[in-house]
Amino acid sequence: MRAQFVLQEIWIGLRRNLTMTIALVVTVAIAMALFGTGVLLKMQVDKSNNYWSDKVEVSIYLCNKMSANPSCHKAEPTQGEKDQIEAQLKAMPQVADVTAETQQQAFQRARERFKDTPGFSDTIQVGDIPDSFRVKLKNPKEYQAVVAQMQGRQGVDQVINERAILEKFFKILGGLQWAAMIIAAIQVVAAVLLVANTIRLSAFNRRRETGIMRLVGASNLYIQLPFVLEGAIAGLIGGIFAAVLLGFSKVFLLGRLQQNLQFATSLGWLDVIQVIVFAMCFGVVLCALASFLTLRRYLKI
Amino acid sequence: MIHFDNVTKVYSHQSRPALQGVNVAVEKGEFVFLVGPSGSGKSTFLRLILKEERPTQGGIHVAGKDLSKLTNWKIPHLRRRIGCVFQDFRLLPNKTVNENVAFALEVIGKPRRFIRKVVPEVIDLVGLEGKSHRMPDELSGGEQQRVAIARAFVNRPMVLLADEPTGNIDPATSIGIMKVLDRINRTGTTVVMATHDAAIVDAFRKRVVELEDGRVVRDQSRGVYGQAYGGV
Repeated sequence: MRAQFVLQEIWIGLRRNLTMTIALVVTVAIAMALFGTGVLLKMQVDKSNNYWSDKVEVSIYLCNKMSANPSCHKAEPTQGEKDQIEAQLKAMPQVADVTAETQQQAFQRARERFKDTPGFSDTIQVGDIPDSFRVKLKNPKEYQAVVAQMQGRQGVDQVINERAILEKFFKILGGLQWAAMIIAAIQVVAAVLLVANTIRLSAFNRRRETGIMRLVGASNLYIQLPFVLEGAIAGLIGGIFAAVLLGFSKVFLLGRLQQNLQFATSLGWLDVIQVIVFAMCFGVVLCALASFLTLRRYLKI
Repeated sequence: MIHFDNVTKVYSHQSRPALQGVNVAVEKGEFVFLVGPSGSGKSTFLRLILKEERPTQGGIHVAGKDLSKLTNWKIPHLRRRIGCVFQDFRLLPNKTVNENVAFALEVIGKPRRFIRKVVPEVIDLVGLEGKSHRMPDELSGGEQQRVAIARAFVNRPMVLLADEPTGNIDPATSIGIMKVLDRINRTGTTVVMATHDAAIVDAFRKRVVELEDGRVVRDQSRGVYGQAYGGV
């Protein structure tokens, strides 16, 4: 009896302000989708950051015949010079580990890495990537000293700090994340105002019913529940749309990002589902709470 | 059943009190007419019983409960023991007679089986047998008021408050409404009826409490409407 009555009241309420309900659903959907996208981007950045922070290396590329650096004189360093460089690197206090990679190994690795783009991998040749030392740092942030000592040293072509490159990408992603979050926050404010307005209209439309309910001694819960659930259901429908949008977000935004930027870690559907569930709960609670607070103003007990 | 102990009510935006030092005791099973000109405090008196308003001073007891000690949480339980009828009926236009009466029980969570049993009984009691599937706009004013009385009485309240129940109804039909209220009173329900209807007060000869400018100026058992406004 109770459940049927409450559901009937909710249905009447939602149907009577159909346009407001639609506006509310759309706003909630956009807010939650943007919010979720922000969270997903943050998860992506954090995850990649973690992954990379113990994998980023300073790569020291040695001269070879194709080097553009004039100090190389288009010649490879001798084995003695290579050993010297390696010894110097190993002696530095910041360095955790040094691995030498030959042209042959570098070639193999590049082929492997770009195997999905055959047009590119076919054109790679041995010698395109020179011999190099991959230096693992004890603390990835202390790359400066290594870079400074190796830059311009005899036999060294280029010093590339991978972290600096990654940080650029992370900055872009971080910016996207904040943009999404800020727009989401504005949408949340709009959603709260819309809930307040919808519930106010709903309370006005049903003032006869609520007046009689009050008079015959219906409990406050009984009077308020249909309104609060009305808000919550609008929030839930918005959340379902947001879930669909987040699915698109995962496939088209993060999926493309992963393809193009060679992220080592990808967010699985499990992460996305977590975010979706969280966003939906947030939407429902937000709308229910906003309804409840509005009722306190417009529904006299 | 209803005890007003030196009750004064001043509305915040008015300087003149709506009720001033009112002492009235209504016992179980009584029928009381509350009379007096507009603005004399009749509606305030009824609203105080329902705890829709709080007295500025004085104490009110209804059905053995001190209203000043009643928490907001408990107000609905008080109102379940009080039925209300108004001049403007206050029926739900999109529900049938049956549904309007059942609504009062649905919203306090009564089981469906109980509702199905008692609603037809009350509809018969107010004299609307055979009309339970009509919509309010298909009924006359008198019939609509009977529906409102049925709704007020369906939960068997201890007190029935009626605020000008015959105000929108022609005199002949009013007698019928009064007979229904009298029948309810005979079941042991206390009835307090605010009215302007001199003919009815004079015909029924029940207790009369007269208010003027917020004071009780007359409290008379088997009274009449009064010289100043009655007669015509």
